[in-house]
Amino acid sequence: MLERWIQAAVTDDAGGEDPAATRARLKGRFPAGATRRMTTLGMIAGAALAGLDPGEGDAIVYASGYAESCALEAFLDSFPTPSPTLFQTSIHPSAVQQVMIGRQTPVREFLPHSGGRLIAFQALRAALLSPAPRVLLCGGEERGTWLLAHGLASDRTFGFAASLSRERPAGAAGRVRLAPADGAGELGLASLFDLFHGRSVFGGFIAPGWRLDLEWL
Amino acid sequence: MPDPLVARLKQLIVETLRLEDVEPASIPDDEPLVGGGLSLDSIDALELVVHLEREFGIKIETSEEARGALASVASLAAFIRKRGDPARLPA
Amino acid sequence: MTAFGDAASTHAALMRGESALRPVPVLGGAGGDPVPMALMPGRAIDETNPPSWLGALRALAGAIPDGDWGSPERPVFVTGSNFGVGGLYALRQTGDAAFAAWGAPPTCTERLRVELGWGPDVSIISHACVSAHLGLIEASRALDAGVAREALVLSFDFLSPFVAGGFHALRILNGDFPAPFREGATGAIGLGDGAGFAVLARDRGDWVLDGQSLNNEMHHFTANRGDGSGFSGCLEATAAATRGRRVWYKGHGTGTLEAGRLEVAAAGRSFPGAPVVGWKGSLGHTLGSCGLVELAVAIESVRVGQTPGTYGRGGPAMSDCVAAGNFANGSFDGVVCASNAFGGAHASFLLCHA
Repeated sequence: MLERWIQAAVTDDAGGEDPAATRARLKGRFPAGATRRMTTLGMIAGAALAGLDPGEGDAIVYASGYAESCALEAFLDSFPTPSPTLFQTSIHPSAVQQVMIGRQTPVREFLPHSGGRLIAFQALRAALLSPAPRVLLCGGEERGTWLLAHGLASDRTFGFAASLSRERPAGAAGRVRLAPADGAGELGLASLFDLFHGRSVFGGFIAPGWRLDLEWL
Repeated sequence: MPDPLVARLKQLIVETLRLEDVEPASIPDDEPLVGGGLSLDSIDALELVVHLEREFGIKIETSEEARGALASVASLAAFIRKRGDPARLPA
Repeated sequence: MTAFGDAASTHAALMRGESALRPVPVLGGAGGDPVPMALMPGRAIDETNPPSWLGALRALAGAIPDGDWGSPERPVFVTGSNFGVGGLYALRQTGDAAFAAWGAPPTCTERLRVELGWGPDVSIISHACVSAHLGLIEASRALDAGVAREALVLSFDFLSPFVAGGFHALRILNGDFPAPFREGATGAIGLGDGAGFAVLARDRGDWVLDGQSLNNEMHHFTANRGDGSGFSGCLEATAAATRGRRVWYKGHGTGTLEAGRLEVAAAGRSFPGAPVVGWKGSLGHTLGSCGLVELAVAIESVRVGQTPGTYGRGGPAMSDCVAAGNFANGSFDGVVCASNAFGGAHASFLLCHA
């Protein structure tokens, strides 16, 4: 069984908010001028991550199925004179790099997942297998535009980050456990986000052969 | 009388790089663009290159050449006057 | 698998001092400046439907040992940087929705998963040029924790106008050919197609990966901290595994100047006396697959007993430790393999005989 304690969790569901409104809402969470090259995903997932004060001894595990959809769209739109800024920004795992480079904080390890059906499980497994004393599991999606019309982007914008430790901290917020088990079931990234956002308890299959138990204290 | 090329370059810098709170006229002619008061970096410089090539018909081949041409607004204007299409310079 | 073929063919070509890089218009059929690229035989960078690289990937996958890959006990880790992004470029250029099929990492990987008959546990790890290393580390951890019996790491990256255009916009892919670990007035990279796989098991195999190490500078998207601390911070952990061993060093070395200098200096500090080689001057930078592609060539080098030298015609070597020529490696105990990526990501491990 793999297990960690949840020290803290930060979530942000943009819901039906217009991207410009999301950016305006989050702008003040970053240093002046820092957001001019940030994407909506970078701001929403980055603000959540920054809220947990990442440091040099931490590991960051990042999960985003479609990642920088809007930067990707804009980069593709910029041909035949491609934009170097948009190229750079469109490359996974840009969202976390946007905020961490802004903070100039190195980290022990950074494991970015893109995704598939089981991205929530796979990112969580990576987090629970990391040897780092503290792991910051973070992620999110940003709503796409023309890529969404082709089924190649998320239809939702959200961001989250959770600080996970091996030892139970004072004031622990919860606990997360993964264990091999016979059975099937899947939990998507958006559903994992909803569990954290709602502080909802969960006991069931997150992936075939793997059970997730999530409890809040 | 402000140099129209220098004025256009400053406007281009603000627009291209989305420097929301910067007035073009406030950008000094001789201050380093990268690593100076505007907090621009090498990616910003390369982004400018794309727009400069399109507008003025110049060609910058390497990142090292970009660094030299974009040392300051003044050096950039000199570079464009030397290498750009004269027909595309602002009157 | 590279533009030269499989690991043995690639090794042989490197030993002969050949380069797979050729000048190719950066936007393929749409033209543009000629830049150095190494494409697998029969391929152009323009996207087709289905993708022109699919045949090569299928051929590679045919060599994967049978097993219930993608099951809880045999997870798969697919690693890369671009996946089918060339399809997105073609989609945008032509409006043909058929190109969307392989365009995004989730859809590309799912199609592969279904075609290859894998179960659902297929992770997608994408972190530019350290992607393959990360796949190896995650696979290793799953094995060490006893939650997997075997793990498959598959890595691939095939060129397209999307990625060539992007690197060209960064002005590091230009008309010059790369000369890794060589001084010059300007730096330049070449790009190459690449793919590879590794099967990891806990208790058997001919090769051992030890001292797997990671570090992320989070300093700048395209530059490293000037003191080299990012490189050293990663390599020192691998160096601990090399104590008492004589090693050679397979570097990342893309052909850019500052990163090359920092890497060579760090390798010299962490592995004094180790000859440094880099092969991207011949193979091109195979991007998200480079960690596995170059691991395969390193394995072939040890198997054959000969290490290809650093390919690239340029100025003087950045350090005396850079091995320009081929050398016999029989007296060495292992090879350190290192890769670096945008954002100051670093990864390294020691490869030695089991």
